[in-house]
Amino acid sequence: MNGLLAVADLSGDPRRRAHDRRMQRLLGSSAFITIIISALILFVLARGSIDFLKSIGWDLGVLRDSSKAPGWFPRRERFDLITIVMGSVLMGSIAMLVAVPLGLGTAVYLSEFAPTRVRKILKPIVEVLAGIPSVIVGYFALKFIAPNIVDPIFSPDQSRNMVVAGLAIGVLVIPIMASISEDALRAVPSSLREASYGIGARKSTTTIRIVLPAAVSGIVAAFIIATSRAIGETMVAAMAGGRDGSGPRVLDPLEPGLTMTAAMTNAAGGTDQVNSGAPFQVLFFVGLLLFMMTMGLNVIGDRFVQRVRQQY
Amino acid sequence: MPIVTDSQRSATRTQVRQAITQQNRHLPSIALSVTLLIAVTFTLLTLFSLLARIVTQAIPAFSERGASFLSGTIGSEPDKVGIWPGLFGSFAIGVGVLLIAVPLGIGAAIYLEEYAEQNRLNRFVVVNIRNLAGVPAVIYGVLGLIIFVGWLKPVTNGGTVVAAALTLAILVLPVVIITSMEAIRAVPMGLRDAGYGVGASRWEVTRDHVVPYAMPGILTGTVLALARALGEAAPLIMIGAITGLLPETSLSGKFTAIPMLIYSWSGRPDSSGGNIGWSNAAAGAGLVLLALVLVFNIIGIFLRNHFEAKRVGT
Amino acid sequence: MKFKNWALVATCALALPLAACGGSDSASTPDTTGSSSNTDGGSVFVTGSSTVEPISIKVGELAGTDDGGNIKVTVEGPGTGDGFKKFCAGDGDITGASRPIKEEEAVQCADAGIEYVELAVAIDGLTVATSVNNTAIECLDKAALYALIGPESEGFSSWADANTLAGELGSAYTLPDAPLSIFGPGEESGTYDSFVEFAFKSIAGDRGTEVIARADYTASPNDNVIVDGIESADTSLGWVGYAYYRAETDRMKAIAIANDEGVCVAPTDETIADGSYSFSRTLYIYVNKAKAVENPAIGTYVDLYLSAAGVEQVVAAGYVQLEAAEQQSSVDAWTARG
Repeated sequence: MNGLLAVADLSGDPRRRAHDRRMQRLLGSSAFITIIISALILFVLARGSIDFLKSIGWDLGVLRDSSKAPGWFPRRERFDLITIVMGSVLMGSIAMLVAVPLGLGTAVYLSEFAPTRVRKILKPIVEVLAGIPSVIVGYFALKFIAPNIVDPIFSPDQSRNMVVAGLAIGVLVIPIMASISEDALRAVPSSLREASYGIGARKSTTTIRIVLPAAVSGIVAAFIIATSRAIGETMVAAMAGGRDGSGPRVLDPLEPGLTMTAAMTNAAGGTDQVNSGAPFQVLFFVGLLLFMMTMGLNVIGDRFVQRVRQQY
Repeated sequence: MPIVTDSQRSATRTQVRQAITQQNRHLPSIALSVTLLIAVTFTLLTLFSLLARIVTQAIPAFSERGASFLSGTIGSEPDKVGIWPGLFGSFAIGVGVLLIAVPLGIGAAIYLEEYAEQNRLNRFVVVNIRNLAGVPAVIYGVLGLIIFVGWLKPVTNGGTVVAAALTLAILVLPVVIITSMEAIRAVPMGLRDAGYGVGASRWEVTRDHVVPYAMPGILTGTVLALARALGEAAPLIMIGAITGLLPETSLSGKFTAIPMLIYSWSGRPDSSGGNIGWSNAAAGAGLVLLALVLVFNIIGIFLRNHFEAKRVGT
Repeated sequence: MKFKNWALVATCALALPLAACGGSDSASTPDTTGSSSNTDGGSVFVTGSSTVEPISIKVGELAGTDDGGNIKVTVEGPGTGDGFKKFCAGDGDITGASRPIKEEEAVQCADAGIEYVELAVAIDGLTVATSVNNTAIECLDKAALYALIGPESEGFSSWADANTLAGELGSAYTLPDAPLSIFGPGEESGTYDSFVEFAFKSIAGDRGTEVIARADYTASPNDNVIVDGIESADTSLGWVGYAYYRAETDRMKAIAIANDEGVCVAPTDETIADGSYSFSRTLYIYVNKAKAVENPAIGTYVDLYLSAAGVEQVVAAGYVQLEAAEQQSSVDAWTARG
């Protein structure tokens, strides 16, 4: 022993290093499980879609019903995609008509106007709203929005319709819109606001002309992600949309309508099916379509979020 | 005799302040404030009318039934049903999520923040997790139906609460990972450097310093994920939860969960006779679910605020 | 150390499904979790028709009491067709059906080696209904119904649109010029199958059309939605199970159905039980013979189903009990199951 350290001594105890490597492998495998999950989702949806296309004999004509009364009638092998995509888009649009003004307004108020004390109370309340399960919002749609809001104002033929479901989905996505927009607004550096005040601009001018434009990519991200959530929402559309399983192509939002998600839950039938044939397999095809749509929106939305992060 | 009187001085001050700010008279400013207040009021009003509706509708279920509403089983008469099978199912799902999603999620987050190199594969893993977080619940239901009810039938025994717990665990896994990653990322670098400085291995630094420091944030994510799992119904429809009659609850048999009961009961007719209709029973189940979910959410928000306050201190 | 615990937790996560599957077949394993009862009478799993489901639930609730034998009956109602698919795959002890088993379903059962007993348990009348405000329509014949709801009626938005076709088919009724909004169960429902069979089969056979309803009506598997629809439009038309009509007589008006002699017969307990009302059908349960031998709880449950107490549940669920002779033949079939 001459008191000198070799390089090997600095690299530590081999047992501890081996343990470190073992942990790395263990933790790494849990991270890679997420890749397996994605692969399984894609595999299950793609395999089912191929089975579906085989059952309809690769006759893509059935995906566009050109009969006198076109619609989504899986048990008649009339799979009019326009019907359910339009249902999803209509209800999603109504939802965004509610969620954008309310969510963005709440975000601007929270970030720019609310005194700290108010913010401290209001922000958790918005977060509570975010935590409300969609079945409860579905109940609210059936027992409050339909009888107390939509029926008296629009007097629709049927109390379950796309407006009712759309409004309720809007309630569900307000918090998403609000929280992502608020993050974006708060990410705008205060130096921008101070510069604006410094040249004599009012608070309203500063908010509208300086802060909102600076946060625009975050707000766009909020809009896109909220839209994706609105289109993917299942329970409210199934409970309050007014149709489950089949329905004609409709444009009037006061009519009952069918979303892609509601069509899927109905194709699955509510129990563990020992089911077969195109009316069941279409579930995977619609699922794949929905997966692609929401993933596309999420990827675009995420890009905008990243842009906010890079800017400031 | 002063040149300027007190009252003159005060009047000037007011005049100058108004000239500078003009808040009171400027129409666009007022319009913006009013618009924002309306938006906020509507948002709050929505939340309160939702809560009020559930609570008022739920009162008959609890005042007339009391504890038997919690301990009874589901059935054909709204004034006799109870939510016990739903409570059991939701509880089992919650436990399953804790046992599966939480360790996996935290493990993945530790790997991605502490171990993973900045290479293309790891960046893809992170992007993929963000995408998974945005996949609609109903698609996880399809996955559960095929994999856990179908392929893994020898393990799950078909459409059981085990299949449901596995499905929902996978559904909330991205939430756990993302929130845990954020919590771990917020741990100051100095803490790690100090650990390495005294010769600790990466795992030792992670275990003894990084994770304990990030714990409140990780717990927040866990709690939020749990709340999300308890409220989901769409995947359970796909898996095949029971809404008819379910007198026995077990891990290997048929199951139901509270959100399924709300879904099924709110669609049933409210016949005139009797004090408790189906909408009251559904609201009663809804109140129980809301209480569970809100308690978890409030714990999560509290933990996060606590965590943020601590961060400011350091 | 915290992480030792984590390892334990992870092991448990893996062990959980294994522990759960250790219980083998849930249907035959006595289980004491959950509700408390003194003696354990075993478990029964009933699937099948959502029309039969309310009866099976009520009988099941009765079977769960001390008098009923403390049997734990689990009931789901995915539909007749889906029920047979499960039943013939060996899933489920009993399946309910709102029509007799189809030939291809019987073949599936036979291929899987599943023998069953078919037992008639109740009669369900289909009620064709309209809004209580609709005074113009009291009675319709099959020709008018075919013209209004049949496969050739797609696009008709007024009752009068169907007049040409109805006349061609020899209907005795002239339909008013009023908006036509139609509500009924979806194609996955047994009530749909029965309706198209009762109302359209003979005419569709003559005309060479499919035995289906037009696609553009408001279809819902939720009977409450159908009742809401029929109630909300003044000149609505729809069909529901008799049970739903009887529970909601103040919200809709039954339309009498003209029989082949042209006599209008309204749906009532009597006309349904004696068969003079033509839109009625028998409800069945199918019992898996081998499982009934293995698991005595199934026998006890079916005994209860066919007993006087069971027939009370048929009425309580809103259906019509079988005539005495038919009830007896079900009991005989069950006793003679061998």
